[in-house]
Amino acid sequence: MQNELPMNDPRGIWQNQPKEPFRMSVDQMRLKAHRFQMKARFKVLYAITIGVSISVFFGWNCIRAQEVLSRMGFGLLSVSGIYFAYQAYKWIWPSNLPQDAPASTSLEFYRSELERRRDYSQHVWRRSGLTFCFLGLALVIAPALIASFYNPRLLVNTVPFFLLLTVWFVAFLYVKKRGQNRLQQEIDELRTFETDGGS
Amino acid sequence: MQSTAVQNASQNSLYEQVAETFGSALDRLARAYELDAEARRDLLQDIHLQLWRSFTYFDQRCSLRTWVYRVAHNVATKHVMRQRRIRDRLVNIENFDFLPGSDQAELAASDTEALGRLSMLIQRLKPLDRQIIVSYLEGMDASSIGEITGLSAANISMKVHRIKNILKRWFGEGELHAE
Repeated sequence: MQNELPMNDPRGIWQNQPKEPFRMSVDQMRLKAHRFQMKARFKVLYAITIGVSISVFFGWNCIRAQEVLSRMGFGLLSVSGIYFAYQAYKWIWPSNLPQDAPASTSLEFYRSELERRRDYSQHVWRRSGLTFCFLGLALVIAPALIASFYNPRLLVNTVPFFLLLTVWFVAFLYVKKRGQNRLQQEIDELRTFETDGGS
Repeated sequence: MQSTAVQNASQNSLYEQVAETFGSALDRLARAYELDAEARRDLLQDIHLQLWRSFTYFDQRCSLRTWVYRVAHNVATKHVMRQRRIRDRLVNIENFDFLPGSDQAELAASDTEALGRLSMLIQRLKPLDRQIIVSYLEGMDASSIGEITGLSAANISMKVHRIKNILKRWFGEGELHAE
């Protein structure tokens, strides 16, 4: 059937689509901005509370631990909690657009967003305090691991855990690397567009 | 104190002007980035909020229209970038044909279906190409699209040409508007 309606005019369809009534007064805008700030602060406070709770929990275990290695491990885990809280404050707080965002073109903005994501992914270990966390965990389980050398049955029991941990670690690195490559490829493409625009 | 009051008045009046002039266009823009009605309303609110905020430092380096579209697209882009599952499946307009279901041989039976199809097409594109197709559908010329996106006229022409071909296939469009 030949189409006689204006359905073959995408511009017309797009521009004449049904509207959803939306209106915000300046006062509503102010209220919304205030709520937005409150929400952002609440998010940060929530993350800080979690970080501090982790820190207190492991700090308490650090005091109670008998072994030196365990004590150091719990100490590091406690530090990772504080570090997590600090990073949450640093990264979650500015949840608005940067001040210069509107002045930048969509191309610049999109590229900077991709670069930010790539950088975050590159430094995920440092930013989420995973280095402290894993080092702490390693120290906490070290005494049990040493003891297991004298009791091979215990060592066998831990094999599935370490196997899973290794599989997770390899998969994590693979996915991270693949994501980074994809992001870098897209950033490079956008840079080509910028060069073309400048020439 | 007085200068702050003047600045606030200017910010508010600019916002009122923009909401009046570009309200419908911003509504359509939000639709290009979010299909879910509830999430779209939140996005639209966010766009309006960031626009209102942005007018405190609007320095007239570009036209008001360009400023409005840049802010709106940037807010919407951030919205898309937050959704990892969706973000990873988006494609460039150049790779669109390789997507399953990208070959729409039959014409849409109604306006609603045609709009749904158009929205589906737009939702599959990466933010930059999405901005170009939305600007094209809004009836902008290549130089206006270039001002908003920062792409060169040659790149815009190439992408618009590609968009027109896809639209032609999807909607059986006879005469596409040449820019």
